[in-house]
Amino acid sequence: MNNTQNVNSKPRVRKETKNKIRVDFERTSFKERFKAKFLTFNFLKKVVWAIVRYILLVGVAYIVLFPFFSKISASVMSYTDFTDSMVRLIPKNFSIEIYKAIFVEQEYMRAFGNTFLLSISTAIIQTFICSFIAYGFAKFKFKGNKLLFACVILTMIIPHRTLASSIRLMFTNFDVFGIFRFFSGGGFSFLGLFEYNNDFLSSINFMQSWGPRFTSSGVNLMNSYWPFMILSFCGLAFKNGLYIFLLRQFFMGVPDELEESAYIDGSGVFRTFFTIILPISIPMMITVFLFSFSWSWTDIFYSSSQMFFNDSSKAPYLLTTTIGKKIPASLDGKVPSNTLKWDAAVKSTGGLMIIFPLVIMYLFCQKYLVQGIERSGLTAD
Amino acid sequence: MTNTVDVKKTKKKKKAASLEKKKARAGWIFVLPFVIGFVIVYFPIVFESIRSSLFYTTKVDGKFVDTFNYFNSYYQAFFHPDTGEFTQTLFSGIGEIVLDIPMILLFSLFMAVLLNQKMVGRAAFRAIFFVPVILSTGIMDAIDASAVIDTMTNADGIDDGSGGSTSGQVVDALDMQRLFNGISVTDGMLGYVTNAINDIFNIVNRSGVQMLIFLAGLQSISPAIYESVQIDGASAWETFWKITVPMISPMILVNAVYTVIDSFTSENAVMDYINSIKTKIPEMGTAISAAMSWIYFILVIAVLGIVVAILSAYTFYQKKK
Repeated sequence: MNNTQNVNSKPRVRKETKNKIRVDFERTSFKERFKAKFLTFNFLKKVVWAIVRYILLVGVAYIVLFPFFSKISASVMSYTDFTDSMVRLIPKNFSIEIYKAIFVEQEYMRAFGNTFLLSISTAIIQTFICSFIAYGFAKFKFKGNKLLFACVILTMIIPHRTLASSIRLMFTNFDVFGIFRFFSGGGFSFLGLFEYNNDFLSSINFMQSWGPRFTSSGVNLMNSYWPFMILSFCGLAFKNGLYIFLLRQFFMGVPDELEESAYIDGSGVFRTFFTIILPISIPMMITVFLFSFSWSWTDIFYSSSQMFFNDSSKAPYLLTTTIGKKIPASLDGKVPSNTLKWDAAVKSTGGLMIIFPLVIMYLFCQKYLVQGIERSGLTAD
Repeated sequence: MTNTVDVKKTKKKKKAASLEKKKARAGWIFVLPFVIGFVIVYFPIVFESIRSSLFYTTKVDGKFVDTFNYFNSYYQAFFHPDTGEFTQTLFSGIGEIVLDIPMILLFSLFMAVLLNQKMVGRAAFRAIFFVPVILSTGIMDAIDASAVIDTMTNADGIDDGSGGSTSGQVVDALDMQRLFNGISVTDGMLGYVTNAINDIFNIVNRSGVQMLIFLAGLQSISPAIYESVQIDGASAWETFWKITVPMISPMILVNAVYTVIDSFTSENAVMDYINSIKTKIPEMGTAISAAMSWIYFILVIAVLGIVVAILSAYTFYQKKK
């Protein structure tokens, strides 16, 4: 009651100098303002909720980051710390000998270069090819587009692990409608069901002189980057169905008027796509690029011996197939009393070195991650 | 004079008709890479996989000979003496994944709601929470696998940060069990909750993409709706259940489908078992393991169909088409 009177009462105006006036009014006392603002149930609720929220978030962030913390701490421990039972998470004596050994003995830079080349090329190809395909599905009506999109979903649903041996066979004897096979002296064949060969047909084998990869049953593409490239160029590589789905959803949200105005101005379909649609979809494309780059960087399935790299002497030297797989010779058996822990620490240091470049890239690109998906207007129809 | 007008008219008509065709052709050109890949690469692969499940390969005089087995491999997948654990592995594996799905969905929805609120350090939390998206293909698991062994054999000493030891340190399952013992819940429920808590590391690491999709969905809800509901006097609880959940329900469907596909297609016990069969049984192994893969795949499709059928009954679309 008092308060309202005070506030409503006319403030006293006093002229101080020529250009300055001073207004006097009785402010509500600090105590009462404090009471009204902070000692309410609503404020209490807010504070409690904020605290609970932070505890939850910090807790989950801890779960996500803890493996990295402990791996990092184990990786900078000197080997004397491994015999000291007092040392758990914080190292007593720092040393970077594990990093050094892996860097030099396992040729980290060579593996890094190869992996970088493979990941960046497949990621760029996949991003462009998938946006190309997705744009076709999103903006054009043609006969059979629903059936084709069902095929895209199908490629997403059938796991590549189920098809592993068939994929391997495909790229061991890679062929396009039997053409390579025919010109390498293998005769006619159709999907392994029908084969026909005779002396005349096997005399047409000029392709075999092109190199050891050309055999009479097709082209052997194992232990090379070709399988990755071919799968990427066709939008069939790891999780490409998901990328096509996400990008299609994004392009469907782009208003048709944008393209129509471009068409009226005389721009063709492809020019419109490259000069108008692609520039506005950069956040989404960065998201897809980030997915495909990092999933190909940390891939352990396609580059494993059960898939495309079945001969380790011929296969490209990649990070995931070499670093952290074995213990470097100079570190082997250095801690005889605690071999298991030492080996685990060396191996996980290798793992850290594999993901380190990825983490750096992620820090720069992560803001696009939410942005890209935010703008996709993703819906389930 | 009249002639030229006619010519113009017919020309115009022709052009208008061909625009549709032109666009359809352009559409084909856009999807051409996929069509080519599907015909040349994907179809033969699937065909070969199905074929290999139907043929036994035997070596006769140094040559491999395929003989059609009249679906015997599908029968042997269940009844061969060496595949005794197949049924059990299959159903327990699928059951585990099915139980994980609601956990992952609830967790990622909850976290997305939290990360969507305005607060200090939101960008930092978002950056941390999406780390699993980047590192989810199992490289860390593969490295950890070697490290897990020694946490089992050696209880003390340095924590090397393997995933196995993390769950034990974050929440003590025994404490949780004690807490729930006080409350009268059924044993099955108790087991489910404690399993989920023990598995929290796994769940957090598998819900990165889902969180991202939910967050995008939450961002797309118009603030005007929240404002009008607030003016009408709805509480936060009511707002969540009557506005947020219906508006986000299409995303729940998308995420459920993604979670099912992701957990079935990534490495799991069933896949490992199917792979091990290949070398375990001589001659028939390849065919039986391919047959098992297809049985597994058909069951995955069935699970997917059930999940979609259940969820789409509760899905709300703002604009009906």
